[in-house]
Amino acid sequence: MAKLLVVDDEANIRLLYAAELSDEGYDVVTAGSALEAVEKLESESFDLAVIDIKLKNESGIELLQRIVKERHTVPVILCTAFSCYKDDFSAWLADGYVVKSSDLQELKDEIARVLAKRQKAAYT
Amino acid sequence: MDWECCWSRDHIEADHCPYVGEGEEDLLSSQRRRIVEKCVECPRFKNDLARMKGAGYPLSDVLPYILTEFQEQKAQMGAMLSFLNSRTREIKFLREVGLVLQNSIDLDEVLSIAMTAITAGKGFGMNRAFLLMTDKERRNIRGYLGVGPRDYEEAWRTWEDISRSNFTLRQLARDFQKTKLTSEKVKFHDILQQLTVPLADQGHIFNRALRGKKPILVENALNNPDLDRGLARILGVDTFLVMPLISRNRRIGVIIADNCITHKPITLQDMQSLETFAFPVAFALERASLYERLQEEVAKQKAANLKLREQQELIVKMEKMALVGKITSSIAHSIRNPLMVIGGFARTLLKGSSADDEKRSYLESIVRETRQLEEVLSEVLDYSESLFPVTDYWDLNELVVKAMGELEGVMNGAGVACRMELAPDLPVVRIDYKQISYCLKTITTTALSAMELGGELHVESLKDGDAVLLRVTDDGKPLSETAQVALTTPFFQTQELGEGVGLSLCKSILERQGNTLTITSRPGGGNTYSIRLLTKKENI
Repeated sequence: MAKLLVVDDEANIRLLYAAELSDEGYDVVTAGSALEAVEKLESESFDLAVIDIKLKNESGIELLQRIVKERHTVPVILCTAFSCYKDDFSAWLADGYVVKSSDLQELKDEIARVLAKRQKAAYT
Repeated sequence: MDWECCWSRDHIEADHCPYVGEGEEDLLSSQRRRIVEKCVECPRFKNDLARMKGAGYPLSDVLPYILTEFQEQKAQMGAMLSFLNSRTREIKFLREVGLVLQNSIDLDEVLSIAMTAITAGKGFGMNRAFLLMTDKERRNIRGYLGVGPRDYEEAWRTWEDISRSNFTLRQLARDFQKTKLTSEKVKFHDILQQLTVPLADQGHIFNRALRGKKPILVENALNNPDLDRGLARILGVDTFLVMPLISRNRRIGVIIADNCITHKPITLQDMQSLETFAFPVAFALERASLYERLQEEVAKQKAANLKLREQQELIVKMEKMALVGKITSSIAHSIRNPLMVIGGFARTLLKGSSADDEKRSYLESIVRETRQLEEVLSEVLDYSESLFPVTDYWDLNELVVKAMGELEGVMNGAGVACRMELAPDLPVVRIDYKQISYCLKTITTTALSAMELGGELHVESLKDGDAVLLRVTDDGKPLSETAQVALTTPFFQTQELGEGVGLSLCKSILERQGNTLTITSRPGGGNTYSIRLLTKKENI
């Protein structure tokens, strides 16, 4: 069972992600801030992280940069209400990019795609 | 003595003097006037004089002297009278011309007056005249207008027309401007074309006349060593007058006048009259052409002002748009998150509910409405993003393959087959990759909505001059003109199409980058959406 870390500053969204992604069979852990996310990343191991770009006063992209720098093994999918960040060079570090939608199918597809890619890379 | 002539009688009968003509009956009863007007010329009177001399009349030797003197005086008087008459007519005519020229600022009207004055019998009565004017750059004198008949036939017809009419010069000129000006320009086009002379050609007769500020009468042109023989050949005459047109030391042009049909000699008097006339003509021509140039400048200025205003409006619009962009971006986050939660949980609940749950339809409504709101939000956000394109050089074909690949699922769902025909070796186009992809995808989805199940969509790229053309053709129902307008106007609503910003956004994206979107429909079915993308850097 793949273990996911979902980082979003809105409790309701964390709740929704947890419910939907658990239904898909993932083991979901949530974090409400970048600090909390870092703490969790340091104490547990994850197969993938879903991170919102806007985290109150923090930036999801900065968190992404930290993860890439410190923990190379965790792939990251950025999830945001803005589509314009697709052009942000820093966002290109992410393995996936999804615009927030009430239909979580796109996110689920993206998670499956990134995980499959990782798995394939691990085997070869 | 019984005299042969009737000079000695007070009254005579009509048959007594054969020289008293019809309408002169009053001479029959006026001895004095009859002697002055008829007898002095009468051969019978001369016979009587000879007889007087024979009979030894004392005054018979003196009388012939007096008579000769009287006749000479009479002839002189007649000549002076006719000179006076012609001068009076000329002054009247010059006054008329002067008046019109003073008031007119229309170049064509001035030309018509001047040229009619030179050629009409009421004016100077020359057979033909050419006007040559200095060009705007002041480099050449160019043939501008020719007036007169081309051959005897035409001359005869024209003169007959004019003599039948009783028009004043002004009326003639007006008539000329209305009916003949254009055709006369065409008629002498071949001659006028050959009459261009550089102002720098000092030796040329036109420049000589302009330099000397005096008319030059050219005679025996074909054998004149000082003259370019070509000119005589072009004009087809041996004798012509070159009249300089000068206004305040400015060289306006030259008039060439000749009697190509009647070959009547050009007299000193003709020259003087034309010279008097040349000054107001030159002045009026200068004024009219200055006025024309002024009008051109005013028009240019107006166009520049209009452009400036359009630019200003555009700037204001862009500023407003930028503000809209900022606002929409900032509220997007706060709207999208709650929407996601509402719709997301509704979906979760929907998934968990049984098929016969009566609350299922409520949940379905929430999901549907949320999706709609999210779509509107996406459109608005896309619109605000479109305000800030990031352009670079891209391979269009690569973009097409990728974008169409993303739509494969949608097309499969609609049962539509996509046939791609991409021209190889296309030049790269400078575009915002994301925006053009969006345009292509939007066009494709719009086209799909017009198609029946199982149609064919044709996507092609091809070179078109300086640009690359991207065409999407469907085989669906042809769009009406209203529908086309509706599709390309933001939030325009029609019953069939609903409302939105889809294609209108494409249009504004493309236009902002200097490209175009056109829709054409064939009555038989099918619509073609063409995007024309520029390849040249300076056009963007």
